[in-house]
Amino acid sequence: MRSVGLRVAIVAAAFALVAAACTGSEGGPGATDGDGNGDTDTGTTAGPSAFTYSVNSEVMIGTDPATGYSNEVIALHNVYETLTRYNAETTEVEPLLAESWETSEDGLTWTFTLREGVTFHTGAPLTAEAAKAAIERTTELGEAASYIWGAVKKIDTPDERTLVFQLSYPSPLDLVSSGTYSAYIYDTEAAGGQDLAEWFAEGNDAGSGPYTIAEFNPGEEIELRLEAYPDYWGGWDGEHYERYVFRVTPEANTAAQLLRAGEVTLVQRMSPQLWSSFEGQDGFETSAASSWQTLLALLNTADGPLADERVRDAVALGIDYQGIIAALEGAAEPLSGVVPPGLWGHTDGLEYQQNQAEAGALLGEAGFGPDGERLTLELTYLKGDADEELVATLMKSNLEELNIDLQVQGLQWQTQWDKAKSGNEAERQDILVFYWWPDYPDPVSWFYSLFRTEKDPFFNLSYYSNEELDAMIDEASVVAATDRDEATRMYEQMQQIVAEDAPAIPLYTQVYQRAMLDEVEGFQDNPAYPNVVFGYELTPTG
Amino acid sequence: MTRFLVRRLALAALVVVGVVILTFVVARVVPGDPASTWAGPRARPEQVEAARRDLGLDRPLPVQIAKYVGGVATGDWGLSLRTRRPVLEDIAQRAPASIELVTAAMLLALAVGIPLGLVAARWRGRSPDVLSRLVSVVGVSMPSFWLAIVLQLVFFQWLNLLPVAGSYDPDLDYTSPLRSVTNMPILDALLTGNWTVFTSALTHVILPAVVIAAYPAGVITRMVRASVLDTIGEDHIRMVRALGFPERSVFTRFALRHAWSPVVALLALVFAYALVNTFLVEAIFNRPGLGSYAASAIGALDTPAIVGVTLFVALVYVLGNLVVDVVQAMIDPRIRVA
Amino acid sequence: MAVAPAPAETVALEGGSLPPGRLAGVRRVARRNPLLAVGASMCLVIVVLAVLAPVIAPFPDDAGSATHALETLESPSAAHPFGTDQVGRDVLSRVLYGARISPLIALLVLVIACAVGLPLGIAAGYFGGWVDDVIMRVTDVFLAFPALLLALAFAAVMRPSITNTVIAIAVTWWPWYARIVRGQAASVAARPYIESARAMGIPHRRILLRHVLPNSITPVIVQVSLDVGGVILTASALSFLGLGAQDPTPDWGLMVSQGQAFFTTHWWLVTFPGAAILFTAVAFNLLGDGLRDVLDPRRVLTR
Repeated sequence: MRSVGLRVAIVAAAFALVAAACTGSEGGPGATDGDGNGDTDTGTTAGPSAFTYSVNSEVMIGTDPATGYSNEVIALHNVYETLTRYNAETTEVEPLLAESWETSEDGLTWTFTLREGVTFHTGAPLTAEAAKAAIERTTELGEAASYIWGAVKKIDTPDERTLVFQLSYPSPLDLVSSGTYSAYIYDTEAAGGQDLAEWFAEGNDAGSGPYTIAEFNPGEEIELRLEAYPDYWGGWDGEHYERYVFRVTPEANTAAQLLRAGEVTLVQRMSPQLWSSFEGQDGFETSAASSWQTLLALLNTADGPLADERVRDAVALGIDYQGIIAALEGAAEPLSGVVPPGLWGHTDGLEYQQNQAEAGALLGEAGFGPDGERLTLELTYLKGDADEELVATLMKSNLEELNIDLQVQGLQWQTQWDKAKSGNEAERQDILVFYWWPDYPDPVSWFYSLFRTEKDPFFNLSYYSNEELDAMIDEASVVAATDRDEATRMYEQMQQIVAEDAPAIPLYTQVYQRAMLDEVEGFQDNPAYPNVVFGYELTPTG
Repeated sequence: MTRFLVRRLALAALVVVGVVILTFVVARVVPGDPASTWAGPRARPEQVEAARRDLGLDRPLPVQIAKYVGGVATGDWGLSLRTRRPVLEDIAQRAPASIELVTAAMLLALAVGIPLGLVAARWRGRSPDVLSRLVSVVGVSMPSFWLAIVLQLVFFQWLNLLPVAGSYDPDLDYTSPLRSVTNMPILDALLTGNWTVFTSALTHVILPAVVIAAYPAGVITRMVRASVLDTIGEDHIRMVRALGFPERSVFTRFALRHAWSPVVALLALVFAYALVNTFLVEAIFNRPGLGSYAASAIGALDTPAIVGVTLFVALVYVLGNLVVDVVQAMIDPRIRVA
Repeated sequence: MAVAPAPAETVALEGGSLPPGRLAGVRRVARRNPLLAVGASMCLVIVVLAVLAPVIAPFPDDAGSATHALETLESPSAAHPFGTDQVGRDVLSRVLYGARISPLIALLVLVIACAVGLPLGIAAGYFGGWVDDVIMRVTDVFLAFPALLLALAFAAVMRPSITNTVIAIAVTWWPWYARIVRGQAASVAARPYIESARAMGIPHRRILLRHVLPNSITPVIVQVSLDVGGVILTASALSFLGLGAQDPTPDWGLMVSQGQAFFTTHWWLVTFPGAAILFTAVAFNLLGDGLRDVLDPRRVLTR
């Protein structure tokens, strides 16, 4: 009895503590703000203002600006800067670290003039030499999207502020230098004697951007804290957020709840239903902008039933695109062609429409369809992506009406990709659903990676081969360096070819639905930099 | 006693080696290639090959196993493919938070389970017993992932009473930063006298602790009830009763004294199970810890991390059992023979 | 859900609480053991619903591949008493069809676990010596993993499907049966008449089948009935983590997982399938507890 009694007493004491704690914060999270126990309200008078970005997965997958090729861009674009920045509204390239640039008639020489008075967070000034060293380190490491600099033969630095690129073939360097990945300019001398990559991995940075890394807690909920870099060339006059916190909240419901409680400032992504629950609400603001994240279904043109173009067309006609868009309730927009709106080269009027009768007839010709043999197709998608899962479920249901048994498989990306690249053709899928977006603002990304003939498949997972298109791809990427209007016309043609041959079905383009506290002013998505919130451009009010 | 101890230790060591080999073998058959995970989402084939060499994946499986077992023994649990840090460091950093959560849950479970079990035993066969058994059955039948969602719905969404995410309000890091001593936020706040964080951390732990406590509470209730009844049935208690001691005093003075030993034996087991429960619950409550670490490792096919966590939990279980066995053998010599 | 048979197994029982004859009438059992009666009725309800699902379900196609893109996320109404899900399927129909899945998974798991565990346990107990040592050390290793953890590891290895869920859980479950049976077999094997039978050269197979197996069967039945709820919970946890049944299978754990993204705005998506899991687990746990009381009243601590 004694020991049990003791236990009960301890437990009772623990209970009392918990109970006391509960009553201590009566009224819950909403009420903790004003009751005087510390300033938990971020946007008010005392202390520098903090912007908390609720992101749905870990941010710092990579830490090195040269090799990062993942989610870290959403932090790095606030810490590092590129020579230029793409403006999706005007579809023009704008100055950033470079004030101006020009190209030779043949597109083989590009001259960039750097902004004056820029320093890195290490204190070192931005010089042509430093910029050259950064680009060269990035290309030498050869990782991430460093291939975007592939045309560069030689970089000259005639003076402190002038950077001259000599190319081996014409390439639109103004677009390249505004790239999403691998285009950052950084101080390669930052680590002194230490290995630079290791130094980055420890949570250091060598950028020139408005914020610098103050705290890096890998794997934790508050993964990253940024702080204003006092000597930022843009200056800190006027209202800016001086702290920038990344809070990882994988569950959209949690993120929404945190926003409602004022614990985060802006939420990266929630379900359309949650998002619309903030629409028109006092104290909150919402924004919706179409992105460049295009969801595509790549069809196996080399092997299996989809090698027959009629069957591909039938599948393309069998899908209820409007139904998919409707079920996603605003999180998706119809996509015409593969190049999304906001990117030069986008073409209207190429959307597919569902037409079950025609699809059935095409299948009938091929011996399948409602009156023919039952057709079995295998589809793979990224496991854990609720939108892709929903699309797969709807497609399965649509195709069932055409007597097609769509076997849907959610896989981890590695597994999905390994299967698609398999040397054994029989092991490959019939339909692969995945997102594609460019590494820098150029439509060539879709064509070069997805539709250009590949001996061993890498990203051409339709296994599509069309010599005519191959030639056009090579030509268009050269023309883009000197004559963007002509290149735009070429991409229009190329998209028509893709629509006819149907190696891929463009399903939709994602819509960024953001919800934020209404203290935030000046927020706008830039689809060229997916999910990046440029903190410096925001103004805290209230 | 020494012989028993040596035998028991040898047995535990044997099990541990078996556990290591089994987890390793399971992990190595995972589809998807650790080398390409390591090399990154759009890596070129040469980079993947280089990663394969760096990670030692090009060597034969028995060699890899031998190397892994040796590594585990010397504290080298490999590198996480996702965080790119030593797995053991990752675990050491995250385990304390989970252990704190599970401890809180276990205290809650004991606080509920012991009285409930006693009530059931005292009034066996009558309505308090039926009610207590019903509660304990509901406890062990509760899908914890579902309970977690329902509690969030009720206590945050509808009543707006308790916070839902994290281990404490992170804004407090600016106003009253928490100094890390043990990596257990509540304990750290207590040790450093940081009452603001302490309060915040306690309110944050309530819902997840309740969810994790459901199953242990049910088990403990059953165990206490059964164990007390078992003791009451024993000869010396019958004797006491025959001697005319009142029922209440038979119950409190004689029966309970012997009833707690099996309950203690159960605790190590239940603790290990509750630790696994964090795999489901921490992610839902967005709490840092071993469970959310494991959940993201599974999501990313991060095999070294999956193996590491599995190994860690199994070790906790084996060690817990060892301690319980030894303690019980010290108290009750009869067990040594069995 | 850390669900293990162990704690239930270790639970001791009051002795002598039942009349000596086991063939007590149903009514008598119900009176003596109301929880058993409740559990049995709940199980009956589940079985009836599972069998009659095609008749009762308002939209049987919704349990299959049908979708209705224009009727998504509708709140509960007369037409859809449990509302509709993210692709417009009737939640009630799916919950009803789900009753065909969970109990079936549990049944398959326990059959496999017995098929593997019983022979090994009997062999270990009957032959003793090194056979016993090897088999028991292997079970020790398996038992060092909480069931869900090991099932997770196996499920992560294999392509997610119901079949593989069954295999993954069975792999973690058989050692418990090996253990239980081993104890029984060892005690039977030590009895004088068995020893003399062995001395007389009666084949092992006959001794095992005639004497050892029958004597081990009661505790196994009790354990099976106690484990159904645990298996259902483990399976639903695997589905919840995406390692089990795949869409469009109307699996309850999967439905909770898919509804999680919507729970604050559309509560019915997680509430009903989750409640179904709870109901089923409670039903089988009550039944198991009750059956143990009836069949094995003298069972005491096994560890």
